[in-house]
Amino acid sequence: MSEFGRAGDAMRRAALQIVPAARRDWVDAVWAESPDVPPGWRRLAWRAGGVQLIVREALMQRRIGTALLFAVAAGAAAWAAWPGPPSYLAISNHRALVVAVIVVLAGLPLLARRLFGPVSRSRTARALRVCTYAAVLALIPARNVIEGFRDVPPRGGLDLRVYAVVNTEHRVARTESFDGFMFLVIIALCVSAVLWLTSQRSRVAPGTLGIGAIGGITVGAAVYAVAPLGLSKAATNPWLPGSDVDPLVSLAWLLVIFAPPAAAFVAHRRYTAAGTATAPAAGARQILGAGLLTNLVGALLVSALGTGTTALTLKEAWLRDWLYHGQRQFFGIAGLRSLLHGDLAAIAYSHELTAAVDGSIFLVMCAVFPLIGLALIALPVLDGLGSPEREPERSPEKEPERGRAATVRP
Amino acid sequence: MATGSGFSAQTLSVLAALSDQPSEWRHGYALAKHTGLKSGTLYPILIRLADRGLVEACWQDEPQPGRPRRHLYRLTADGIAVAGAALAAAAESQARQRARAPLTKRGATARAVP
Repeated sequence: MSEFGRAGDAMRRAALQIVPAARRDWVDAVWAESPDVPPGWRRLAWRAGGVQLIVREALMQRRIGTALLFAVAAGAAAWAAWPGPPSYLAISNHRALVVAVIVVLAGLPLLARRLFGPVSRSRTARALRVCTYAAVLALIPARNVIEGFRDVPPRGGLDLRVYAVVNTEHRVARTESFDGFMFLVIIALCVSAVLWLTSQRSRVAPGTLGIGAIGGITVGAAVYAVAPLGLSKAATNPWLPGSDVDPLVSLAWLLVIFAPPAAAFVAHRRYTAAGTATAPAAGARQILGAGLLTNLVGALLVSALGTGTTALTLKEAWLRDWLYHGQRQFFGIAGLRSLLHGDLAAIAYSHELTAAVDGSIFLVMCAVFPLIGLALIALPVLDGLGSPEREPERSPEKEPERGRAATVRP
Repeated sequence: MATGSGFSAQTLSVLAALSDQPSEWRHGYALAKHTGLKSGTLYPILIRLADRGLVEACWQDEPQPGRPRRHLYRLTADGIAVAGAALAAAAESQARQRARAPLTKRGATARAVP
């Protein structure tokens, strides 16, 4: 074999690694025929068909497509989060965090595949994974805008005094690296939970995932409407004069607390009604799946939307004016009102700064909401999982294998 | 192209080639020459047929000296039945189309006459 042929063969063997094992025989089969094809263009065309088969089978498995999509989205997120002078320590920390988050996001599915098995075959499961990744990737540049704004004190004047008052009021004694580490840990835990719930081995039914996702979108929308969308107590009071309890805030809390058990109940009922629950553990998995997913999706949604909106208020004056429409004074922080004296620019800066400082609350939600969901469904889950499984359960997404390996004669 | 059999024209040509001598194992290049299909078209068809249990595949027992073992194909029992039915349906559909074509022409002429 010529040098050229040997190099081509080595490349083919390397390319075979991206083809599913069950299909490799077929690619080898194309190459096995090529000695019979007349040399020259015909043989080249025959081998090109083999390359086409490799690409087709690899893309069929969606591995390369998914990897490319992630690479593009992660690149865009990193590019958006990158600007800033590298001499600032905070900017360097942000950049290191961006890289760390992308590495974790890229590595977790590989780890999850090993620990939890491949992704469930339902479209709901795939959509949940894609949306989770989109939410986290959107968080990266949004968070960096907020951090960049919060970490740079004004050079002097009234803004510097506002900065001191707001930061003192919120008792901001933060260390950049610790914040970044916590962000990484919480995001990794949330993504891991979604990867587990949407894996084949978790045996959470696609219907359960759908119920959890719908519950989560409801929770997330309600919490987002409270803040930072502007429908906070200060904004709703003019519409409901005399009301001490903001109905929207109450609704959001009620949803955070009662949506997980409600979703768990509906998912369990739907699963048992379909006649698929042959053991208590199977039902417990549906309760756990729907209950946990509800607040997890809600927290990720409100984090992405909330952080994004806060970042936009820092960049876009029209949004800030719309969100804080008519609020010419600031009542939230003691000492600020007397300091501002109706100075509109300083009021605007105080709004921006407070929103930036409050932005970190969304990360707390990502950690706390799923725990609330877990706590509220713990009893039925523990009860179900503690019961012995009498018979093997039917996997909710059992489907025939797509690729059947060619029979290999010994 | 509609063949009236549920299979594409290319798949039908592969089924026809394999149906010629259903008990014989055929290799890919022979099928490609018989059907006129390129390797990039032929092998995905063979894979789909094997997935549906219509074609079985195996590696040659004793390779010819100086060349790699070949992958061989033939129709399964199900494949023979399905191929027979599909080829018959395609032939029938073709015959109907052929019969309809002159009629359509006649009709068009008749309508054109005032």
